[in-house]
Amino acid sequence: MSKVLMKGNEAIGEAAIRAGCLNYFAYPITPQSEVAEYLARRMPEVGGVFLQGESEVAVGYMIFGASACGARVMTTSSSPGVSLMSEAISYIASGQCPAVFVNIMRGGPGLGGILPSQGDYFQATKGGGHGDYRLLVFAPASVQEAVDMVMMAFPLAEKYRNPVMIMGDGLIGQMMEPVVFPDHLKTQQLNTNSWATSGMDTRNSGTRNLVKTLYLDPVQLNAHNLLLKAKYDRMNLEEIRFEPYNIESDYQVLIVSYGTMSRVCRTAIDNLKANGVEIGMIRPQTLFPFPLMAIREAASKESCKTVISIEMSMGQMVEDVERSVQGRKPVEWYGKCGGEVPTPEEIMEVVQSYITSQRKEQN
Amino acid sequence: MDILLKGVVVISGNYGSGKTEVAINLAVYRKKQGMDVRLADLDIVNPYFRTREARKQLSELGIEVVLPPEQYMYADLPILSRSVSGLIRHPAELTILDVGGNNVGAMVLAALADAFQDAPYTMLQVVNPFRPLTQTIEGVLKMKQEIEKASRLTISGWIGNANLIEESTAETILSGYAFMQKLSESTGLPLSFITAPAFLLSELKAEQFSCSILPIKRQLVPPWKQAVQLKE
Repeated sequence: MSKVLMKGNEAIGEAAIRAGCLNYFAYPITPQSEVAEYLARRMPEVGGVFLQGESEVAVGYMIFGASACGARVMTTSSSPGVSLMSEAISYIASGQCPAVFVNIMRGGPGLGGILPSQGDYFQATKGGGHGDYRLLVFAPASVQEAVDMVMMAFPLAEKYRNPVMIMGDGLIGQMMEPVVFPDHLKTQQLNTNSWATSGMDTRNSGTRNLVKTLYLDPVQLNAHNLLLKAKYDRMNLEEIRFEPYNIESDYQVLIVSYGTMSRVCRTAIDNLKANGVEIGMIRPQTLFPFPLMAIREAASKESCKTVISIEMSMGQMVEDVERSVQGRKPVEWYGKCGGEVPTPEEIMEVVQSYITSQRKEQN
Repeated sequence: MDILLKGVVVISGNYGSGKTEVAINLAVYRKKQGMDVRLADLDIVNPYFRTREARKQLSELGIEVVLPPEQYMYADLPILSRSVSGLIRHPAELTILDVGGNNVGAMVLAALADAFQDAPYTMLQVVNPFRPLTQTIEGVLKMKQEIEKASRLTISGWIGNANLIEESTAETILSGYAFMQKLSESTGLPLSFITAPAFLLSELKAEQFSCSILPIKRQLVPPWKQAVQLKE
């Protein structure tokens, strides 16, 4: 298949169509509005539906409704918009409906700014909405990976009957790279007869389908939570994805970084390697489930003296890195937010400073 | 053969067609030929990947870059510098207007209708046939119509900017050129010039093309890459 040059936001829209998603509801917000612009044009061409809600709160429940009816459905938004959708996300998770959410993160908190950030790590991986639910969270580091992850997200949302979140940042949405839409990632939707509220068909049958989130009986609610937990435990077994980089070397520092930030780190690692300094990196491709064991193992390597979580936030993922390393090695954090992306030179300097202080301690 | 553009040149096209890279590199190319060049960034659509990123390099070369006031640099608001209409009325030897993408970006030009009324201009549409909405002649013409309607100006020629950024090969440039020739024939509008990444120039032969080639040194790069030096 031939390559086209696409902006991340357009590619995410096209990937949804290629994945068989014909329902897209959204509310515009920078830096992801091009997804809506693109799909407003494309959806009618393929017999799909684009609807702009009157707010992100409305969009969240439009997604719940379409999903409960068994339709493949997606929305895209950016940080403050995702906050508004968080209530619905909790309901969708409880109602066990598959849906795909894309967050092209911008700087926060509050209205923040419109440049790239990774400040919604906690929101995506630790809640956002209320109650004990989890999302399967993907973090692409290129436009092609965003395409692949969006296409994979639909069948996975259906496998777990749970929302999947794609966490890009403003750069992933705005940058342009050549992409292909892989045919092998096209999937057929699974039969939804057993749970979807598809109309009158099930009303008169013995097995009436009902999507609900209210469980007043505490025993029933506990049982419902246990059922949800079993799905999240299964994700932890089956869905962890990560990319190791320069991990076969005798690295002195291990970087953990994801998305756009990991690409800056990659350049820094390459530059340092040219100077004879070895740095390893684990790049989580799923933020939940988190590649805990891979990081633990990489941190345990004898040559490794320090682990650094590098993120465009004030130290969010670092908590999961600490949980992974469990005190085997010192865990540090470096980051910036608000739209300023650390440069490769900055990362090199930070890493060098830890190596220098390691040497001092040894002497 | 050479690029002879002068006066007010409006660079339009669909978003992501490469308008800004073309505008910057065209400014540098003409400056090096000894022309007095000004470049105005009229991209009001969004604050990612705009001319202002190359400001430092351009001003070092003596090219004046006209931008919205500093305090609005990161706003996604339709703010236009007041000096732009003056630029159109009293242009430098070459004044390049880098417009935002699509009809939405071109709408800003309608706000300058007064300035354009008696001033001659050349509006060119940048086309990258590897972009999804401009892979066909119909797609390009739809965009042309939308831009002309929103801007109230007329497009009088094409700039062929076929590329897959770093994955561009000589084949990318050649097949893009063939597409642009077909477009030029079917519309009767001239192909002003085509572009090629500077790193590919040695692989292209001038006799393969009946128009000039603007070398592109990439300026709008993600933070893990370095912009190519414009001076050399």
